[in-house]
Amino acid sequence: MPRAIWSGSISFGMVSIPVKLFGATESRDIRFHLLHATCGTKLQQRRWCPTDETDVPWNETARGYEYSKGEYVILTDEDFERLPLPSKHTIELSAFVEEREIDPTFYERSYYLEPGERAEKPYALLFRALEKKGLSAIASVTIRKKEQLCILRPHEGTIILETLYYPDEIRLERGVDLGSVKVSDRELEMAFTLIDILRKPFDPGEYRDHYREALAELIEAKLEGKQVVKAPPARETKVLDLADALRRSVEAAKKGAKPKPAARERTRPARRRTRKVG
Amino acid sequence: MSQVGTEVGSVLDQIAARQPRMVLTVEGHELPVTNLEKILWPGSGRSRPLTKRDLLRYLARVSPWLLPHLAGRPMFATRYPDGVTGKSFYQKHWDNPPEFATTVTIYSSHTEGDSEYLICDNLPTLLWLGQMGGLELHPWFSRIDPTPDASGRTRRFSGSEAALKKSVLNYPDFVVFDLDPYQYSGREGKGEEPELHRKAFKRTRDLALRIRELLGRLGLEIFVKTSGRTGLHLYLPILRKFDYDAVRGIAETIGRHALQEWPREVTLEWSVKRRTGKIFFDYNQNARGKSLASILCPRRHPLGTVSMPVEWEQLERIYPTDFTIRTVPEILEDRGDPWAGILTAKQDLAELLEQRTAG
Repeated sequence: MPRAIWSGSISFGMVSIPVKLFGATESRDIRFHLLHATCGTKLQQRRWCPTDETDVPWNETARGYEYSKGEYVILTDEDFERLPLPSKHTIELSAFVEEREIDPTFYERSYYLEPGERAEKPYALLFRALEKKGLSAIASVTIRKKEQLCILRPHEGTIILETLYYPDEIRLERGVDLGSVKVSDRELEMAFTLIDILRKPFDPGEYRDHYREALAELIEAKLEGKQVVKAPPARETKVLDLADALRRSVEAAKKGAKPKPAARERTRPARRRTRKVG
Repeated sequence: MSQVGTEVGSVLDQIAARQPRMVLTVEGHELPVTNLEKILWPGSGRSRPLTKRDLLRYLARVSPWLLPHLAGRPMFATRYPDGVTGKSFYQKHWDNPPEFATTVTIYSSHTEGDSEYLICDNLPTLLWLGQMGGLELHPWFSRIDPTPDASGRTRRFSGSEAALKKSVLNYPDFVVFDLDPYQYSGREGKGEEPELHRKAFKRTRDLALRIRELLGRLGLEIFVKTSGRTGLHLYLPILRKFDYDAVRGIAETIGRHALQEWPREVTLEWSVKRRTGKIFFDYNQNARGKSLASILCPRRHPLGTVSMPVEWEQLERIYPTDFTIRTVPEILEDRGDPWAGILTAKQDLAELLEQRTAG
């Protein structure tokens, strides 16, 4: 199980149910790195200050809101802490609605809500009550510094929390107006027939990301190809490459070039301790 | 090796008494030992549990081979006071070590001040560590003695980071690699590290042989030992001409080369999830103050396995569980330590690289 992204409690009348939130979905895209095409080095993203002409470490950064062009007001962590948000640690249920009253456009992200320690009983009670009534609860929750509207809906033994867009986040302007378009009954009949042919229950298992699969195969083939071209004479050059690379690394060290910061960061003892024991 | 009449023999005789606690006399020092019946390794299957008495007996018997590898090296220990199934913790600094223990004062950038580090260079200290449940011994890759290959480097380790960086402790004897298979057997619990199994060990061994061949083509001879858990440790002994930063660069370069050569075997990923199915080629221990479990050091495995030096020619015939605190003393007494000559087998990486340029 991944780590909970939020923990707190559901507040419902006099009842408080400790819960944790876990992301229910994840993107499975194959990720690429941006390299310098001529030498194959991974490009760095730099936080560059053009005034001081220097790289800026994280601890020297601040969040600024641009209230007019080039003018900023700075908000600190303490400012965010002080915002009056009861929803930071509680999910306050404010109304109960039928799920179909909510248009799918409002749905943003799905999370699994799981009961906290010794909270199975009240959690199960809420789950069953919602299920029996066929209702979902409207609530607010603050995730990552943003208060969000959400609904809690019972689904296959778990309460799922769906964050919703606020109405003002949904664009109203649309490019079409169908009011004046005329459609005959025969045309409509034909459309019905086509639809009926493809009518079947939704089975998510049938759908796969063909693009990702093709991409994974391509990457595998490239790696495979690399192994195949590795004939003995080529190997010798590889070893010479290594000797060259070693010489460069030693020369860099002599000149006092620092090891890459990313590599250095990875050696923090605290992290190492949790990951492996020698 | 005969132990009759030697210090080791005397310790073995004393420990053989059935009492659960006693005061050992070792090299003229008194060392109280307690809870000798405490089980440190639970055993597994037909293998009976191992107690603290077994550990002390083991340490005494292997000390003639183990102590030379610890000499002059600041060290820390992973202590398992309640055995390998209980809690463990690292101990780096020792406030009140016994009078027979050697310590050295070293600047620590973590505490921004000087701290006392232990050097385990005699039998009483080794047994004292065993008494405290210090199963895993982690010596540094650098040592305080500049002779013979680092004469001219200073022995001032305290006061400041700058002094320490100039000193001989900033010049390691080895480039080290930890090959750690992240291939799961399927029996591990959630979040646990992969356990030892044949398939993963075979892949690790094959990779080690390839690395040996690769470095061999450069004229370099690398040494191998079992980690005592799932993987292998590789040590390349070098003349102390490079400081830790340079050695780390060398190690990283070899790691990246291995990744390019064998992308489906090797991973350099920090994220455990992304290591899965590959062998983690860990070069990150090439840094001052970092360490791998020492040669002959017992590890956290139910059978009491030990990190064992191996001849390359033997590597295809061995399996990590062949080497436990029960079996290793006899193997050493029969065949000696394949790593005994490691410090005299040092290679001149600087000269080798210059030659290549000239040629």
